[in-house]
Amino acid sequence: MSQQPAQTISVTDLDLPQLQDVKRQLDEELTHLTNSFAQLKQAHSKFKTCLDCVKEVRPGNARKTILVPLSSSLYVNGKLSNPEKVLIDVGTGYYVSKTRDQASVHYQQKIEFVENNLKTVQAAVEKKQENLNMVIQVIQMRVGQAAQAPKER
Amino acid sequence: MSVSTSSGPQVETNPRGIPRAPFVSNVEEYLDGTDSSVESTLNKFQEMIAKYRYMELNVQNRRKGLDEKIPDIAKTLAMVEFLKDRREKKLGKSVKKDDEDELEDDLDDDEDQAADEAPLTTTFELNDTLYAEAVIEESDLVYLWLGANVMLAYPLDEAQALLSSKLAGAQQSRSNAVEDLEWLREQITVMEVNLARVYNWDVRRRREAKAKGIEEGHEV
Repeated sequence: MSQQPAQTISVTDLDLPQLQDVKRQLDEELTHLTNSFAQLKQAHSKFKTCLDCVKEVRPGNARKTILVPLSSSLYVNGKLSNPEKVLIDVGTGYYVSKTRDQASVHYQQKIEFVENNLKTVQAAVEKKQENLNMVIQVIQMRVGQAAQAPKER
Repeated sequence: MSVSTSSGPQVETNPRGIPRAPFVSNVEEYLDGTDSSVESTLNKFQEMIAKYRYMELNVQNRRKGLDEKIPDIAKTLAMVEFLKDRREKKLGKSVKKDDEDELEDDLDDDEDQAADEAPLTTTFELNDTLYAEAVIEESDLVYLWLGANVMLAYPLDEAQALLSSKLAGAQQSRSNAVEDLEWLREQITVMEVNLARVYNWDVRRRREAKAKGIEEGHEV
């Protein structure tokens, strides 16, 4: 994420078409950042549910009968055979078998990482929003000036 | 959608009721030479093309949906058949054991027996990136998710029958959809050709009328 140099938007610096260009660019960047924010939120809630699921796989539940999915629409009765270990997909085709505690730690780390990113993106979104508002104000001033000038003539 | 053709009131349709587009072989005969009839004919053709295109879109979406569903149903069916085989082998063995106790034991394939008698363990999906191990109980019942928050328990045989019929139905629908798409493509092409022919005939007619008008102007 590139940091722009401090934006000093003064009325005299930019004329109307340039201001509109800047506004369009800020709009695009804002949309992009908002999408990223939404995706991060999704990932965050997904990891949270995974953490909850890990908590459910506990020795207390080992004797209970569960519905085991064998395919997207087929379920069979079964019991948890190994409540101590779970299999985690760590990406790029690798699956790691961890104990429940290790898995909880793993998901907790992922959740914190995503939360940090969320904060960063949120700050960037706010800053972009500010810049956008300033540019819109300047555009309105310009349009007002341009409307006045012909009247004076 | 009724089309006025000289072939009578009955419009030919394909097995799913999509009407055939009539081919206008003689444009002059089809129109009566006034500007307004040409206009209305062009509009009518445009309308028909739009309707065909809309149908094509629907059928394409239907086929995409089926393309996704069919492998799922096939997989589920394979699983049910696997469970059924296992169960039959188990039941078959226990029946045999009752009848011919000491005789068959040595002849049986020991490893095969062990694999079939060991409980079925599987790694199943708890969540997107989380899997857990479970042992599957022996039972005749499987649960099928029918969609719309409905899940029913079926004995293995009925489940197999239901899934086979679902798979066959889906495959039939898919082949129907593919056939419909081809038919629609053909009709759209015919209509576009009609449109082009009427338009060209009209352009030629106007040009001729203008040329004749200029000639008559010169003569006078």
